Amino acid sequence: MGMRVSNEQSDSAAESCVAILTKRFGGSEVTSTVEHHSNAFKMAFVRVQCPPQHWPAVAKSLRFDHGANYCSMVTGTHFPDGGDDRGWEVVYHLMRQPVVDQKPFTSTVLVASKLTGSDIPLEFEIIVTLPQGDEPSVPSVQKVWVGADWNEKETWDLVGIRFEGHENMHRVLNPHDSPEGFHPLQKQHKLRYHDYNEMYDDAQGFGRKPTDEGRVK
Amino acid sequence: MAQMWITMGPQHPMTHGLWTLRVKVDGETVVDTEAELGYIHRGVEKIAESRDFTQITPYCDRLCYVSAMTWANSYIYAAEDLLEVEVPERAEYIRLISAECQRLASHLMWLGAYGPDIGSLTLMTWCMRDREMFLDLLQELGGSRMHYNYPRIGGVKRDIPVGFADRLVAKVKLFERRIEEYEMMLDESTIWLVRLQGVGYANAEDMVNAGVSGPNIRAAGVNYDARWAHPYSVYDQVDWEPAVEKPTSVKGADCYDRYRVRMEEMRQSCRMILDAIEKIPGGKNTNYSNGDEMILAKAPTRAPEGATGFSNYECTRGASKFYIKGGGDGRGKNPYRLSIRSPMFITIPYVAKTMIGYKVADIPAIMGSFDPCIGETDR
Repeated sequence: MGMRVSNEQSDSAAESCVAILTKRFGGSEVTSTVEHHSNAFKMAFVRVQCPPQHWPAVAKSLRFDHGANYCSMVTGTHFPDGGDDRGWEVVYHLMRQPVVDQKPFTSTVLVASKLTGSDIPLEFEIIVTLPQGDEPSVPSVQKVWVGADWNEKETWDLVGIRFEGHENMHRVLNPHDSPEGFHPLQKQHKLRYHDYNEMYDDAQGFGRKPTDEGRVK
Repeated sequence: MAQMWITMGPQHPMTHGLWTLRVKVDGETVVDTEAELGYIHRGVEKIAESRDFTQITPYCDRLCYVSAMTWANSYIYAAEDLLEVEVPERAEYIRLISAECQRLASHLMWLGAYGPDIGSLTLMTWCMRDREMFLDLLQELGGSRMHYNYPRIGGVKRDIPVGFADRLVAKVKLFERRIEEYEMMLDESTIWLVRLQGVGYANAEDMVNAGVSGPNIRAAGVNYDARWAHPYSVYDQVDWEPAVEKPTSVKGADCYDRYRVRMEEMRQSCRMILDAIEKIPGGKNTNYSNGDEMILAKAPTRAPEGATGFSNYECTRGASKFYIKGGGDGRGKNPYRLSIRSPMFITIPYVAKTMIGYKVADIPAIMGSFDPCIGETDR
């Protein structure tokens, strides 16, 4: 029969995580809260707001104190109209997975209802807000999670956020000879067909030019 | 002998798509590797910023044509998190059945492509034959063989047709017997065992740290699965248990374990489908009209600025995730930013590094056992 992690389990795991994080980083600008998804089972997750200078310490704490052993996703966002304090945002999605190495010829069959404490799978969302500017940068966590390596490469490639201390940074999805400073997910780059209505007004596309013509290859 | 770099790809049978593996060899031994991706980068994340939430679903289908239904579902769950939608239970059952049919079709595609890598061309023909059964079933739902655009924010596009349940049960029961045929052919084939066993070891903790997920983790001996750990849909109500394999070495799972765990997953998918079609609320031979509240809930079309939504999903190749920020163009009709986590984008660089120390001839066996898909990798 199927099973699942119950809401009580994920609530208690998230609350104990937030309590420890608040105790450890309470005096600084790091704030952590318990949030809930709005879909399906409304599971709990931990949201941490973190200024960039504290991010390496928070990352190590999450990795080694809270067992967040899985870096799922790194998302960069550009806010050209976000005000002086919020020009860019980097969101890290981490997960805690109760996975351990196995001895030969054995396996661990986890039963959701019997998981307790730090074995309960949990999601973390860490939001690092960066000020307005041309060169946003955030400390790299490549050394903390191997999985952050290519995620950070992708975020630099597409959004243009620099990761201080990241080794071997290079283009991954754009061509290697893309112009320096070209990061397509920044908001000044508009799509050639920005609105689908344009496609109907000028179906052949004779009158249409990319809005960033002349500025990129 | 001098070491040299060999370029495998972008057109190479090993790659299962368009990417380049640069291999540094010392004689026959691999000493270093580099993966190069991005050959079919289409900019789906950028395109999505100028599309309505409902218009994004077909783009998500096209992330990976082998598992279009799971990718569309993956996006839909994140959009429902953003828009705060309650989904009717019958729609959740239909989504479960369609996603598991897609998982069967996807694993069959993997096995069919992996067989010729190892030297078993028969496998290709057998798997394509069986995959067609499930594509036919999905066509009945979505109207198309590959890109269905079937799930909707708040439910599904249309109900299961009358008679679908009988055809589904007949085909799944037939396929359960076919799995045994596959195993008889493969597990008793010396070539298959020699090429797969003892090759491509990967450790559970290393894989988690590197961001590898899904069947590859379960092959290393832990039954971690987003379907129960970060639950969605009605997987807690149907009869199944996560597939798990016992690795044979202290170094972790080899290619053979990863093959075994996918065969077991196909069995579990069959079990799940057979149970879900019996338990479906509203009856398995009822056909509700399009937009009925049994299969589709009302959903808002706009998301306010500052709202975010994300959701985990157990795709066929591992854990996928969408992260959506609301409040984009069209007064919130478009996402401000949509970010896609592809399991294979993280896995391919990791797999490239696990090849170090093995022979050049083992590269197709190792790469294929992780089930690469480049459509979702490059997005």
